[in-house]
Amino acid sequence: MSTEAKTQPIAQPSGLSPKEILRAARLPIAIVVVLILFGLVEPRVLSFGNFRNIALQASYLAIFAMAQTMVLLTRGFDLSLGYTVSLVSVAASMAMVAMGGGDVSILYGVGAAVLIAGAIGLANGLLIAGIGINPLVTTLGMANMVLALASTISGGFPVTGLPKSLTAEFAEGSLLAIPTPIWIAALVFVLLFLTLKATRFGRSLYIIGANPRAAVAAGIRTVPVLVLAYVLCALLAALGALLLTARTGSGEPNLGGNLTLEAIAAAVVGGVRLSGGEGGVGAAVLGALFVTVLSNGMNLVQIDGYLQQICLGVIIIVSLIVNRDEARR
Amino acid sequence: MSSETATMTVANAPSHRASRLDRFLMQGGIVITFLVVAVVATALIEPRFLNRLNLLNVMRNFALLLIPSLAQMLVMTAGGFDLSVGAVVAATSVVTAAVMLVGSIYFPGMELALIIASLVIALGVGALVGLVNAGLVSIFSLSPFMVTLAMMSVLMGIALYFTQGIPIYGVVDSFVANVGRGQFLSLPIVLWVALGVLAACIIMQRFTALGRHIYAVGSDQRSARLSGVATSRTLIAAYMLAGLLAALTGFLMTSRLGSGQSTIGGTLALETIAAAVIGGVSLRGGVGRAELVALAALFLSVIANAMNLVQVDSKYQTLVLGAVLIVALAIERLLLRKRQA
Repeated sequence: MSTEAKTQPIAQPSGLSPKEILRAARLPIAIVVVLILFGLVEPRVLSFGNFRNIALQASYLAIFAMAQTMVLLTRGFDLSLGYTVSLVSVAASMAMVAMGGGDVSILYGVGAAVLIAGAIGLANGLLIAGIGINPLVTTLGMANMVLALASTISGGFPVTGLPKSLTAEFAEGSLLAIPTPIWIAALVFVLLFLTLKATRFGRSLYIIGANPRAAVAAGIRTVPVLVLAYVLCALLAALGALLLTARTGSGEPNLGGNLTLEAIAAAVVGGVRLSGGEGGVGAAVLGALFVTVLSNGMNLVQIDGYLQQICLGVIIIVSLIVNRDEARR
Repeated sequence: MSSETATMTVANAPSHRASRLDRFLMQGGIVITFLVVAVVATALIEPRFLNRLNLLNVMRNFALLLIPSLAQMLVMTAGGFDLSVGAVVAATSVVTAAVMLVGSIYFPGMELALIIASLVIALGVGALVGLVNAGLVSIFSLSPFMVTLAMMSVLMGIALYFTQGIPIYGVVDSFVANVGRGQFLSLPIVLWVALGVLAACIIMQRFTALGRHIYAVGSDQRSARLSGVATSRTLIAAYMLAGLLAALTGFLMTSRLGSGQSTIGGTLALETIAAAVIGGVSLRGGVGRAELVALAALFLSVIANAMNLVQVDSKYQTLVLGAVLIVALAIERLLLRKRQA
């Protein structure tokens, strides 16, 4: 951590003043306030069933936001995340159907997901870190290639006939009364948290994001680190895609349409900085929770889906402004 | 990082020692090569390419890609990014058609006035969007990428909310006949408009203070400010001009389609960025020339037409577009690296 403090003008002091505690608690407070406000209009928002529902929905978005965070930390971007989800959903489903649709075929689906996402992440990483093309344009180009594949390989139709156990275990299953997707998101969170805090790779991500030149000077081999970050991002997207596929019970070519924007929004709302080097998976999870609480509330008070899209845009801008002031102080 | 600095130096201050490769890169060698290869290959593979009607079609599509690509170029040379360009096109298409539909109820028969009114209102919307984008980018120094991404979400939401995705019919007949299908000296009106915009951009870039200021702000905002450039005003001008050009595109597309559609412009952000980047506009700002962007837009229009002629599924066309963008950037990058070695 000390290296980051040096390279980054916005160093975090070790002591916690009341102001800083308030700053750290800002998003949780905002989440509670939003819940109460919606609860006043529609009491169902504050029911236990709905809390469970919010946690479940947020766990999917949290996985995507954490995936995006891996590359945002390095000053990168993955605009192909949403369509990677679509392609993985369709391709993994086709693999499962082709292998007979039994329980064992799930393994083939997972294998297909890992191969495809790995290839996309590797291509992104090599183009960005190896050749040196701008991450926005690389992943924008990749997004369109992946979208084309996702919408053509199945003829544009949903892929049905998936193993029943997929939905039963990975969408509706639960352990200790907590749904499986929440467990998986929590596991991902813990693993990534430890990776970022305690491994050389994790710390390298921060240093590259804070100051790429300093990272090279410090002897970090930036190319493999960056490639790994993009591969990790794509693999996490694939994990989320499999979970979403289990929930819908079919391979959907339109599954990831809005996910890129939502994942970036969640990470940014949570406080992951686009200029790299600041934020973490905790921020991504909180941001995902905030976005989910908001969309859940808007759904329950029956706000039009298109109006929700407008709100999402406004929230991104507001949180950018708020987080920016924080950096300035 | 050193190779990036090299790009800037090459493009900004060509030294007399510039190698042949430098000159090739600087003078749009890549885009000219791409364009010539695409035209020759298409003409050889599919002779129908050279039919008069097909060429007219290519020109119309080229015109409607050129105008938003120039918008993208203006913002990118100022060091920004505009992902909202497609959304502005969609929103202004809806606005154009809505103004005509409502206007023809209250003012029947005044077609010319309605066409002009809808153009003015659409341009106003575009300018307003540009102003908001620029305000957020310059006052709060937010990432232009995120601001315009959020703006895209907002605009698409508004356009879809008011239309629910259904096209707005009731566009004035003479609008479609005279603007969308109209010709002057046997070339489409939309092409003349686009060429006029291109000429204006070239003149602005070469001969006006605004043009020089946009380059200065794009290559280094701080030193631009220190040398007395009003950076905020320059950014606002660049984004507002981009908004105006995107609105003009929405207006012209409505004349082509005969209806206002909230669903057009979906891939326009990608296409315009591709045209700008293939035309040599730097993603780091400060570098970009309108005439080369025009050649790149023509190249993209030719390959899109070629794929239509050989009946490639439109979904695969997106794939090719993404691949072309990445390959063009990779070639440029690798050539630059070779030059350094």
